[in-house]
Amino acid sequence: MKKHSSRKVRSAEVNLGFQIAPMIDVVFVILLYFMVMAGDAQVEKFNYAQLPGGPPEPGIIKGFQDEVVIRIEDDGQVLLNGDLLDSPESRSLPELAGNLEQLKQSNLATSKPLMVTIDASELGKYQRVMDVLDTLSLANITNITFQANDF
Amino acid sequence: MAGGGGGGDGEPEFQIAPMIDVLLVLLVFFVMITSAEVLKVDKKLTLPVSPNAKERDKDMAKHEFAVNLRWDKDTNKGVLVIDDDIKQNWDDVLPFLQEKKKADKKLRVVVRADGNVPAGEIQRIMNFIGMAGIDDISFAASNK
Repeated sequence: MKKHSSRKVRSAEVNLGFQIAPMIDVVFVILLYFMVMAGDAQVEKFNYAQLPGGPPEPGIIKGFQDEVVIRIEDDGQVLLNGDLLDSPESRSLPELAGNLEQLKQSNLATSKPLMVTIDASELGKYQRVMDVLDTLSLANITNITFQANDF
Repeated sequence: MAGGGGGGDGEPEFQIAPMIDVLLVLLVFFVMITSAEVLKVDKKLTLPVSPNAKERDKDMAKHEFAVNLRWDKDTNKGVLVIDDDIKQNWDDVLPFLQEKKKADKKLRVVVRADGNVPAGEIQRIMNFIGMAGIDDISFAASNK
């Protein structure tokens, strides 16, 4: 009887030791969670522009650039040099992208850099400006400036 | 060498310690990549989406200065936040930006604005940035 109780105590002491299997289970679950979250992570990206008045970029001859004006209306309608392009709901702006690509190619042939001025309506949404900047980034147009308004 | 593959007979033992090491390294890696970007963004604004925008220019990272523009839907105006400080009077920003430009000639201002902010508010802040003599500007966006 005495022997039996001492064996019980000894087995209880052994079970109190550090358990590796549940720890691995937990680590696996946390790992899975972060792996799934990593695929959904939002990454911050940037669209670069130069404000008027800054020093000219090397290789750009001022006064000889072709200037293109992109107007953004309150409702999101985009106009390229006064011509209506795409619908206000279109986020990818395929017509604008096509026209910009053509302009870029014709400017490359004449070795004149393309300068784009964005003239956004005050009540238009910033997201729409970003849609246009995104299209310019896709066309690899870097000479971007903004129409200044008086405040 | 205890447990170093045995003495030739029988199956090699499964080593738990290196496996835990690898697991922890993987865990730390995924924790880092999921949290690194989130820390830099003001949680109270929703960045506009621009899938074709460029990656951060690492050479210019130390010259960057962020200007956050939250959207107040009640007034449909922008709320200017610089270094977690809400600027009630936007005119105060001009001397602040001028000082920044004086301290760093290569200063680049990163405009982090909510996608719902009216474009006029963006032009307003760009006006101040331009008046401060800063010509290098970038617009932060989300990839999705």
